[in-house]
Amino acid sequence: MFSTRPRLAYFAVAIIAVLYVAAIFLTTNSYYQLMLALVPVWAVMGLSWNVFSGYSGLVSFGHAAFFGLGAYTTTLLFAKLNITPWIGIPAAALVGCLAGVLIGAITFRLRGHYFALAMLAYPLAMLYVFEWARLQEVSFPMKREDAAFYMQFHDQRWNALIALGLLVIALLVSLKVERSRFGMSLLAIKQNEIAAEVAGIDSYRWKLKAIALSGALAGAAGGFYAVVLLVVTPFTVFGLATSAQALIVTMFGGVGTLWGPVVGAAFLVPVSEILHAELGGKFPGIQGVVFGIAIILVMMKMPQGIVWAVRDRFFAGKGRPAGSAVTPAHLAPAFILSEAAETLLEVQGVSRRFGGVKALTDVTLKVRKQEILGIIGPNGAGKTTLFNVLNGLVTPDAGSIHLKGTQMVGLPANRICAKGVGRTFQVARVFARMSLMENVVVGAFVGAPTDAEAAERAKAALTRVGLGHLGEAPADTLTNYELRLMELARALAGGPVIILLDEPFAGLDAGEVRAFMALLRTLRDEGMTIAIIEHTMQAMVQLVDRFVVLDHGCVIADGPPREVVRDRTVITAYLGDKWVPDAVAS
Amino acid sequence: MTDMLPGLETVLQTLATGLLVGCTYGLMCVALGLIFGIMRLINFAQGDFLMLGMYFALAILSGLGLGTSIGSLPALLLAALASIPAFFLLGWVLHSLLLARIAQRRGATEGEAHQTQLIMTLGISLVLSNGALMAFGSTPVSLNTPLASQAFVLDPLGGGDVLVFLNEARVLAAVAALIAAGGLYALLHRTDLGRRLRASADNPLAATYMGIDVVWSYRVTFGLGFGLTALAGVMVATYYPFQPYVGLDFVIVMYAGVVLGGLGSVMGSFWGGVIIGLVQQLSTLVLPLQLQGTTVFVVFLLILLIRPQGLFGRSVERA
Amino acid sequence: MLSLHKVCVRYGGLSALTDVSLEVGEGEFVTVIGPNGAGKTTLMKAISGVVPLAGGRIMLSGTDLSKVPAQKRPHLGLAHVPENRQVFGGLSVLENLALGTTSLADPARREANIEYVLDLFPILRERTTQLAGTLSGGQQQMLAIGRGLASSPKVLLLDEPSMGLAPSIVDMIFERIARIHRETGLTVVLVEQRAIEALELCTRAYVLTTGRVVASGAGRDLMRNEEVSRAYLGA
Repeated sequence: MFSTRPRLAYFAVAIIAVLYVAAIFLTTNSYYQLMLALVPVWAVMGLSWNVFSGYSGLVSFGHAAFFGLGAYTTTLLFAKLNITPWIGIPAAALVGCLAGVLIGAITFRLRGHYFALAMLAYPLAMLYVFEWARLQEVSFPMKREDAAFYMQFHDQRWNALIALGLLVIALLVSLKVERSRFGMSLLAIKQNEIAAEVAGIDSYRWKLKAIALSGALAGAAGGFYAVVLLVVTPFTVFGLATSAQALIVTMFGGVGTLWGPVVGAAFLVPVSEILHAELGGKFPGIQGVVFGIAIILVMMKMPQGIVWAVRDRFFAGKGRPAGSAVTPAHLAPAFILSEAAETLLEVQGVSRRFGGVKALTDVTLKVRKQEILGIIGPNGAGKTTLFNVLNGLVTPDAGSIHLKGTQMVGLPANRICAKGVGRTFQVARVFARMSLMENVVVGAFVGAPTDAEAAERAKAALTRVGLGHLGEAPADTLTNYELRLMELARALAGGPVIILLDEPFAGLDAGEVRAFMALLRTLRDEGMTIAIIEHTMQAMVQLVDRFVVLDHGCVIADGPPREVVRDRTVITAYLGDKWVPDAVAS
Repeated sequence: MTDMLPGLETVLQTLATGLLVGCTYGLMCVALGLIFGIMRLINFAQGDFLMLGMYFALAILSGLGLGTSIGSLPALLLAALASIPAFFLLGWVLHSLLLARIAQRRGATEGEAHQTQLIMTLGISLVLSNGALMAFGSTPVSLNTPLASQAFVLDPLGGGDVLVFLNEARVLAAVAALIAAGGLYALLHRTDLGRRLRASADNPLAATYMGIDVVWSYRVTFGLGFGLTALAGVMVATYYPFQPYVGLDFVIVMYAGVVLGGLGSVMGSFWGGVIIGLVQQLSTLVLPLQLQGTTVFVVFLLILLIRPQGLFGRSVERA
Repeated sequence: MLSLHKVCVRYGGLSALTDVSLEVGEGEFVTVIGPNGAGKTTLMKAISGVVPLAGGRIMLSGTDLSKVPAQKRPHLGLAHVPENRQVFGGLSVLENLALGTTSLADPARREANIEYVLDLFPILRERTTQLAGTLSGGQQQMLAIGRGLASSPKVLLLDEPSMGLAPSIVDMIFERIARIHRETGLTVVLVEQRAIEALELCTRAYVLTTGRVVASGAGRDLMRNEEVSRAYLGA
């Protein structure tokens, strides 16, 4: 979605708006006119939920809080202060936005189920507060004489038009989010917050922005809803059903996609209203039952929602251009690193415990500029913990880390990334449905002032690793080797001075390992510094300038590969202390 | 001295009511906590399970006319005993047909899989509550047992100055809740089945290595949770008028109790429920009645923000 | 007793095991050694059925396991002592052992098996009511092995029991494993990174590198095999 066919989506918004206007003016039945006003309200609520929960993955059961505050803001401004909804609705958006910031700031420390449950509590607490404050039922005073000024149109079609206007605004805002680093960063957080932080994304800031925006949209929807219904009660605006509706239209239509909430609302709202109107007299609750069954069926048959299901069914053909990324490679002649090369990264006496386990004990090491350093050791030796300390995911109990003389201990991961430490993970994290380009651009935001610049850098990084021709290919069409290259490109896109690679060769065949090694060599020759954790020793011995060997959290050896593999301590750590020495010597 | 007495009486009366109500809440919370603790599923249909239990009691007492033919107390006990197997079966079927069949999507994160299950329970909730509306209508009904209007009278100080009234229906509900929660504790901690359920929750992969069918464990859990919630419904129905949306009155109480007890700690949920009952009743001493609900939320939010592992929980859910 | 024929496992597009064939006779002690990431754990998970096969066949005493779901395999006599121990941390030591007997019907047999384990690891007897999660790493490993033994298995799968343990504890664990094999005549498949200790214990061994078997033979012979040192040290 990033920088691909943006015009098409704007065009689609325009077409839909025009068709909707036509539908509004062709509808004469005032009941259907009301429905035309309600569909956009719930679509906006869905979009609001989607902007926050759909992209960031933090499930909110409490969007009724923003909706209800918006509804009451508009209503009270009108009823008590005689302020028109034309001002009241923007005010409702502002209140929703502020509530979002406040709730987010308090609640983001919670995760998973805890976050979801806390969100559930906010609107219900407000429900009781508003009842207690004697605001059980607040009506709009009738102002038929200044209908246009007070948004009290006799003709429901005007309301439908205003609703459409709100929807178009919400769609444009969502589009803007989806197509920018805003949406991409949220998706990265949803996929893996830690990996996102390591790629330089300040997750707290983006989540706060998202809930603020989401709150504003929901507040506006609530404000307008009050205008349409002319009366608000705490139960209708703060009730569980309101939160559920926002979530349901989105889940039904498709989470994390612009059109999902719109499709969901366009389908579910009329169906439920018509059922209610036609059969509600005879079978009260029929619309709820049908609604519920629809949700159950969708969750069973297409849990990703209608839009994704349709997209997979009809547009899945868009594959990847032919061509392999593996170029048979010969290792470049080894570059001789000068003994006098300056120290880039200096780790001094770093220790870290987890409970009673000493993960790292007094680790001291240096990485020189343009060096390829191999970090090896048996399982559980503390290698990954060392990387986690180096890029700020884990704070050491003692010791210091200097990058080009600057102290790094205590900085959050996203800041360390911004200072030039790139990283890949053992398990490649990809956004399966997104293009290669979109996957890589996430890593480029950190150094790029504008999105266009980020796209440029992502493109350059892709070309650098030899995937330039596959930029538009969906990530789930890539081979394992290409995914590894993609991860490398993501790390390179941020413009690092040093990259930390965690088991980059896992699952690669011999030819792919050689090609990957050649690429790393070339990167180094061009000035990159590389630290690499890997088990594939045959490859490592050829690739690295120097090994640091960890065992039980301590550095047990540090030196050139030829010496380290003959080191008695190292052999013992790897093979057990009864290894027959001449077996290695031969 | 005489000025103090009405105050003392009110406090004691409130404490007693809070404890009784709290025990019933405790049973609801234990049922929800069981489903969450073993399956890691937030069940949104919990309030509707409760509502079904209430109508089940109505069907036995009035529908079958047992309330008059064998007397309301025996009929009530019958309803209580029958509710567990009946709704266990319904829960079993719901799990087999719906929850266990959720299509797993390629590349879905764990969070997304949970979202799907949760939305599913939301759908089940809508069907149940609105289906009940179609079947039973929206007029509130009550069981009309004589229990609700009778009370045991306690005279804690002797001398008849301070009298505490214990509503018989609430006492019966509290006793049933204590027995059921105690039974669940014994089941979980004293039987092979309980051990298997706890093992399935503790480490599903290792449980599979032991030869335990984890999906089957979840199905039993869901059935048990449903059965116990319905029992709570039967008991609450003796003193609380109800209609198809009655579940909403209790949903937040249940979530608050479970969080208070520590998400995942099944028996902690019981104490969480008891505390919620007490807090809710005691708040009426100092706060207007309408804010009674808000106190529950405030407690709920404070617990979440200050001590998310709950009062009895061991550790916070992993990020 | 246990035989694997051209077993392949894939995770997404990634090949974890390719055409792995191995034979384990009744009462044999077979070791699979190989460096980290060679696919040893995947091999164990394939045998106990928690990862699906992309090809090949696994037979346990004449039964084709392909149609047997993972939770039924313990009932056929397979016990898996997983990597990283995976004890039930919130349950007591005794409960963990009792869960090990899930696949047994006879209560007396269950009782007797638990007694056997408690005799084998006396430290566990002192801690029967303690929560397993609060045990030290070595004690958890003993518990995991004991839990596997409690089902009176025909085949015991041990996945890297030395991981993360101090050398003296590792020696003790290996000594106990040898004793179990000697005393019960149980068929054992041990997967280990620490090659020498494992090779000394076993009757036969396989060397696994990047998902393929690159060498096999008697344990003593493999100790001087160049393939082994190449697999581990690349030299």
